[in-house]
Amino acid sequence: MSETLLQIEDLHVEVEGREILTGLDLIIGKGEIHAIMGPNGSGKSTLAYVLTGRPGYEVTAGKMLYKGEDISPLAPDERAKAGIFLAFQYPTEVPGVSVVNFLRTAYNAIHPEDQKAAMAFRLFLQEKIDLLEIPTELVDRYVNQGFSGGEKKRNEILQMAVLSPELAIMDETDSGLDIDALKHVSGGVNKLAGPEVGIVLITHYQRLLNYIHPDVVHVLMGGRIARSGGFELAEQLEAEGYEGLAKELGLSVQDIEEVAREEGAS
Amino acid sequence: MPDKLNREAAERLSRALHEPSWLVERRMAAFDVFEKLEPPDPKGEEWRYTDVRRFDFDRFDAPVPTEGVPELSPEAAARGVIVTDLWSAARDHPELLEEHFFTEVPIQEHKFTALHGAFLSDGVLVYVPRGVEVEMPLSIARRMAGGGSVFPHTTVVVDEQASLTFVDRFGSEDLSEPSLCASVVEVEARRGATVNYISLQQWGRSVHHFQTQRFTGHRDSTVRSLAVNLGSAFARTQVESVLKGEGSFSEMLGLYFADSEQHFAQRTLQSHNAAHTTSDLLYKGALKERSRSEYSGLIKVLRGAQGTDAYQANRNLLLSEDSMARSIPQLEIEANEVRCTHGATVSPVEEEHLFYLMSRGIDRVTAQKLVVFGFFGDVLDRIRVAEVREGLANAIAAKVEGGQSLEVAA
Repeated sequence: MSETLLQIEDLHVEVEGREILTGLDLIIGKGEIHAIMGPNGSGKSTLAYVLTGRPGYEVTAGKMLYKGEDISPLAPDERAKAGIFLAFQYPTEVPGVSVVNFLRTAYNAIHPEDQKAAMAFRLFLQEKIDLLEIPTELVDRYVNQGFSGGEKKRNEILQMAVLSPELAIMDETDSGLDIDALKHVSGGVNKLAGPEVGIVLITHYQRLLNYIHPDVVHVLMGGRIARSGGFELAEQLEAEGYEGLAKELGLSVQDIEEVAREEGAS
Repeated sequence: MPDKLNREAAERLSRALHEPSWLVERRMAAFDVFEKLEPPDPKGEEWRYTDVRRFDFDRFDAPVPTEGVPELSPEAAARGVIVTDLWSAARDHPELLEEHFFTEVPIQEHKFTALHGAFLSDGVLVYVPRGVEVEMPLSIARRMAGGGSVFPHTTVVVDEQASLTFVDRFGSEDLSEPSLCASVVEVEARRGATVNYISLQQWGRSVHHFQTQRFTGHRDSTVRSLAVNLGSAFARTQVESVLKGEGSFSEMLGLYFADSEQHFAQRTLQSHNAAHTTSDLLYKGALKERSRSEYSGLIKVLRGAQGTDAYQANRNLLLSEDSMARSIPQLEIEANEVRCTHGATVSPVEEEHLFYLMSRGIDRVTAQKLVVFGFFGDVLDRIRVAEVREGLANAIAAKVEGGQSLEVAA
């Protein structure tokens, strides 16, 4: 058993007065890759956002311990400084702010001991660009503005490479990607994985897990971890869908997806 | 006790500045017009939302004459460029002054131009002869004492195929007593000339600032203007480009950032009087705390101005729930072969953007700064004087950081 990086205990989270996470437990060790699978509306993105401190995601009970410290009181930037990173499912467009300027500001904020001037940062960034085989011109454009779906996801991985987090949460990094882009993006994640970083892969489908091999697979349903297992759990879900497991647990996938649709519409 | 803004004060100014009789007559005529004119009606388009009907002129001391003109390089002086204060001009270049002084902006235009004419105390005349390109920007700093008033006048004439950049700076410390500035700017670009005029309003917080800028573009000329409002308690800036000559072009940029209780009102005119004229206007403003701004812009295309291409955009970024921006575009088109495009937006800083930036380790204020810089980016990129661009970047950063804490609209 590796050193514990993240320990979540009985976590309850409300969004706009509705309880989305209903007592979630999860332990992630240093260097481990965990997949969190689940149908739409099961609370996967809520988990990602509450870990990164998004406003509006209220912890009503339970604990989130990162390296043994409760992170609930920390603002999003303080969590990032502590080494937590989220690759967004829908990366935000920020008009007029170039990727390189944004990343240098972020790097210098996280590394007060290693302030990089524009030229030095450019060289450092180029190494990451080369490592991930990303088109250089991307970093001179405004953050995510006019980016294709694949470019947005690549930009997320580039940010992860630059900020080198200790805990990386990838929220549906596979969504909206064709097979080539998926291979490229997951190749990037594999290059950044290692004994120093814990990775949480949030995904709806098993297909991502063919490219990034998880140590543990969890199924999130009804706001908590319904089952955990090895890779065979992902294969079972791929073969049988979520319905079989839901029935076993006395939950209805239809109900869960209904909630997701309502949330999407609101 | 210093004089208030009365007839005796105007007469005393004339004497102190040793004005020739025609200037004295003009000044006193302006005073009569000032006394006679009603304040502008806020029901009209031009002064809508700027109600000055109860504006109290007795609060302000009469101005103290200011001397000082921008420094001119010896090379430019040798090539016949004239930079002089209005009173030296009255002595040394009387024809030039009579021909151009108060011609583009008439004294009787409104109460504040008449006031300006009556108490003119700080004026500069610039003439660039035919074919002379002045490379170094000319710059002048206008100052003011608390409780006082200042009436700066800028007349710029750039002759055929000549070029000039002029930077008008209006700045003071934060003053404890209400103070007044009423300024008039007249710029003429003759055939094929290029003029770049920048006004930087960074007065202290107690100043009321009224400014009328008018640009006249003759055939194939280029007139670029930038109007910046950052300081003062209240500022009204009226910027008008009148394209009289075929093929003339005007770029009109505006940048404003208001905080606390500041109130900025801006009026623009793009007047296309001749065929194949082009105007390109972009005014962008950010508003913080309880500040507010109004923008009202008219594109006017006269009969016969075929082939006009006019563009107008006003964008506002709200950094607090209590700030407010209004934007009113207007079109008056009498020609039939024209292309006119206008657009206006008022939008809050998106919490979504801030969260994304913060999730990368950037603190909230820095994230706001990035968003605000991103917002102003396309205006800043178009400012051709590096020193002005950098100064503004610093001023914008200070505005984001300064004052009361930022609450951002949800």
